[in-house]
Amino acid sequence: MESISKSIPKRDHFPKISGSAKYVDDLSFEGMLHGKIVRSTVACADIKEILIPDLPEGYFVIDKNDIPGINSVHIVDDDTPVFSDGTVNYVGEPILMVAGKDLKVVNRLMKLIKVVYDEKEPVLDMMKSETIFYQYGYTKGDWETAFREADKIIEEDFQTGYQEHTYMEVQGMIGFYENGKSIVRGSMQCPYYVHTAVKRAMGLESDKVQVIQEEMGGAFGGKEDYPSILGCQVAVAAYKTGKPVKVVFDRSEDIICSPKRHPAKMHYRAAIKNGKITGIDADIVYNCGAYTTLSPVVLQRGLICATGVYNFKNLRVRGKGVKTNTVPNGAFRGFGGPQTFFAIEMFMDHLAKEIGMDSLSLKESMVVKQGDDSATSGKYHFHIPFPEMIEKLDQMSDFRKKREAFRNQTGRYRSGIGLSLVYHGCGFTGSGERDLIKGVVKIVKNTDDTVELLTAGTDMGQGLKTAFAKIASDTLEIPLERIIVQNPDTDRVPNSGPTAASRSLMVVGKLLQRAAEKLKRDWKPGEYQEFVEKYVHPDFMIPWDLSKFQGDPYPDYSWSANAVEVKVDTLTATTEIVGAWGVYDVGTPIDMAIIKGQMQGGFLQAIGYGSMELLDVNDKGVIRNNSFSDYIIPTSMDVPHLETEVVENTYDNGPFGGKGAGELPAVGGAPAYVEAMENALGVNLHHTPFSQEDTMKVLEAFKK
Amino acid sequence: MVTFSNGYLVDNLADALKIRSEIDVTPYAGGTDLMVDAKEDAVYLFLNKIPELRRIYSDEQYLHIGAACTYTEIFENSLSPQILKDAIDYLAAPAIRNMGTAGGNICNASPKADTALIFYVADAKLRICNTSGERILPIEDFYVGRGKTVLQKDELLVEILVPKQGLEHYYYKKVGARQALAISRVAFAGIFTTENGIITRCAMAFGSVADTVLRFRDLEALFVGKSIAEAKSIRSQFIANYEQAIVPIRGRVSAEYRKSVCMNLLEDFLTQNGI
Ligand SMILES: Cc1cc2nc3c(=O)[nH]c(=O)nc-3n(C[C@H](O)[C@H](O)[C@H](O)COP(=O)(O)OP(=O)(O)OC[C@H]3O[C@@H](n4cnc5c(N)ncnc54)[C@H](O)[C@@H]3O)c2cc1C
Repeated sequence: MESISKSIPKRDHFPKISGSAKYVDDLSFEGMLHGKIVRSTVACADIKEILIPDLPEGYFVIDKNDIPGINSVHIVDDDTPVFSDGTVNYVGEPILMVAGKDLKVVNRLMKLIKVVYDEKEPVLDMMKSETIFYQYGYTKGDWETAFREADKIIEEDFQTGYQEHTYMEVQGMIGFYENGKSIVRGSMQCPYYVHTAVKRAMGLESDKVQVIQEEMGGAFGGKEDYPSILGCQVAVAAYKTGKPVKVVFDRSEDIICSPKRHPAKMHYRAAIKNGKITGIDADIVYNCGAYTTLSPVVLQRGLICATGVYNFKNLRVRGKGVKTNTVPNGAFRGFGGPQTFFAIEMFMDHLAKEIGMDSLSLKESMVVKQGDDSATSGKYHFHIPFPEMIEKLDQMSDFRKKREAFRNQTGRYRSGIGLSLVYHGCGFTGSGERDLIKGVVKIVKNTDDTVELLTAGTDMGQGLKTAFAKIASDTLEIPLERIIVQNPDTDRVPNSGPTAASRSLMVVGKLLQRAAEKLKRDWKPGEYQEFVEKYVHPDFMIPWDLSKFQGDPYPDYSWSANAVEVKVDTLTATTEIVGAWGVYDVGTPIDMAIIKGQMQGGFLQAIGYGSMELLDVNDKGVIRNNSFSDYIIPTSMDVPHLETEVVENTYDNGPFGGKGAGELPAVGGAPAYVEAMENALGVNLHHTPFSQEDTMKVLEAFKK
Repeated sequence: MVTFSNGYLVDNLADALKIRSEIDVTPYAGGTDLMVDAKEDAVYLFLNKIPELRRIYSDEQYLHIGAACTYTEIFENSLSPQILKDAIDYLAAPAIRNMGTAGGNICNASPKADTALIFYVADAKLRICNTSGERILPIEDFYVGRGKTVLQKDELLVEILVPKQGLEHYYYKKVGARQALAISRVAFAGIFTTENGIITRCAMAFGSVADTVLRFRDLEALFVGKSIAEAKSIRSQFIANYEQAIVPIRGRVSAEYRKSVCMNLLEDFLTQNGI
């Protein structure tokens, strides 16, 4: 283990454990008003009329007419309105805000407001959508010949469901308007995204908008895009009322209107010749919901991952993101990868059965290695440690032996074990780092020889402040206590880019390391010094061309091998998870406890995605299970035996050899779980979440 | 007595019943049901400091469990029957078990109440008091529907009376959506006793499938007084009766799923008892 990997207490550990940390909900300001948002109760309609009662003094209604700039939230595209422009496109779409001093009065006023709709037939089924937001495709080799000359063509359909982030802290923001300046503070991953959005909605110049991140209780991607929407709303409300306006959701509001993981339907075909897979053809649909938010990039990542970690010589991948009258879907740990990885991993398992091999042998025989072309005709430039990882996983889980032993069982309990091999590409997809983000960091040495790291990177509980501090401290060879990392404030920090895409440590951390190296060389005790460092694109990368969908989408990848063992009770169709084992390559762990925490939490979240996390949207487009008693996520009791290990495979372009980690564990859990269910039940399975009821259907079918 | 802005804290049963007879108050035991959707203007009668409601003791026939005893207290008491402890072990999580009470579980009148299921199958009785006296009734007679009981505005549930004999040979299975903090999707409890080879009791209760916990005494009676071999010979008829009697409602899980689990567990219960 590298010395930097040795764990230290996380910077947010004591405040959060002791309860002294202050979240948005805990903050109060002189004259502050509380806002609540009136939301659409129907999935698709024109608003005919809004009936508003007489408002008591000091109470306000804020709607589209109060927006000084443009009624549009900039995310990737600009189609999301700040407040409804007269139509509504999903249940939960914001129409207006009521704000005032007493939240109880606000709640009472909310109930008195009547929105009269002219309802239209909503589109809820993604396969029936006629609005394609985005569409991409690519090929490699000669896929047509492969299919024409195949001995056999296998076709299957796969489906993955929604997933809700269930961060502990719900969405919350406070807006201020003071002396012609808009200030927004709150729970967010990306202060500069919010900054750009607020500028546009408020019609203000950059220096008239300030965005400050507060202490956060989790995000998982759910606070990448949504805070831009809420940020604009509180900014407009503060502008109209002249008072600070705070909006903090309750849990059911959060579940109803915040973005989720995109549900997907995926049609796969494989060409088989002489017992080998000679071609793959994937046709993928992602349900974007009513507005585009981050969907283009989510879809791109999904398509890049569509053929998994295997070296297929001939392939075609096509995909589209379509509109439906449902809550807009957005960023979620894994960002498009978990859907297609689920499909390809299950498909490989099924193809292995067709060919007469066991699935791990098939996977091992096709897994990519250094120097291979990638699916998008880029290159795997660095060592891929799958052989070591698989060996380690087998030692930990006894996978091969169990898999064999669990064939053809009878009796009340049936065991099963499944395995998945996945990656997560580190950093922004395509040429985003070079062309869009162009990250900048600043490092300041104060006269007392403390050093402050200025980046837009946010700590949402994942440990970024701690990791950044360790990188600077080890580079400068000064004690950690002398490194200052504060929550970003756009008036103080340069735009180092969003805290997303598993990029912060690898990309921003590297910039900090470079800046620290410069400071170290030029260290002047007792003097104020500052150094700015700008992003440099790695020169080894094969340029990404989005129009062809070709090139290196990422400089490097993090890899993982996952195994899950289950025991199914055939009487109740309940499944006990006997064990879960994960082996990860995230480069050098900058802090072992942080990495283990991320891997274990992410793995559990991914098992939830594969098994019990079922979002129930009814035929009117209403999310029915909008509470924690009905949207079920796993507890630690559900996976009491969860083991994670890392293999160290340093990435030279990352700080101290580190690369992306945060999203990786969210990718491989679902296919490993569902493959284990296949092994236990002896059938092929095709969807997530694979629930108790699904298990019962399989068992009942056996009886017949 | 302490008066709060939202209610009354009393330290004896007589005072509690007096308040109950005079003021429209909501009894508050652990609050773990009440606080979920707390009514802003509610006036509470806090029960957790009333000694008469916090005792667990036994007389010749019954184990008396005070209505305001927490799950943790019941679980840790050596007098408590194992079947009840099993149900508590799978109920919610430690924090809720430290606050929640068996009385609250019963009075909340949810068909998903895990300990109410046990009290059903165990033939437990409820001791209910008001200022003029008490009445004791079998738990089945307490319910009139989902969320509805015969409890009058001036009454409190004081004790649960659990028969001391005959609970040793039991079967219990709770099916939730996960391993902890899970509300029952189906729960099944069975008690089986024989004397000299003759079945004296074959009780079965089904939770979470209908508006109240289900128990069919008339169907159970079919086995009583029979030998195992005789019971075996009419097993399929016995099962068919239940197949007809259990009509689950759809909730977060389908009626079909609930039905399959009920029937599977019932059959397993019989099989395990040699039938
Ligand atoms: C996170 C969570 C998980 C849960 N999991 C489970 C579970 O797994 N299984 C389960 O069965 N339940 C579960 N519950 C529900 C709840 O914890 C139980 O029903 C508990 O037993 C309620 O007891 P209490 O003392 O908290 O009731 P309270 O909330 O105090 O009262 C409930 C109702 O009973 C009335 N009441 C209470 N005591 C008396 C009395 N002595 N006389 C007359 N009326 C009375 C109250 O007025 C109220 O209407 C869960 C609840 C939560 C919040």
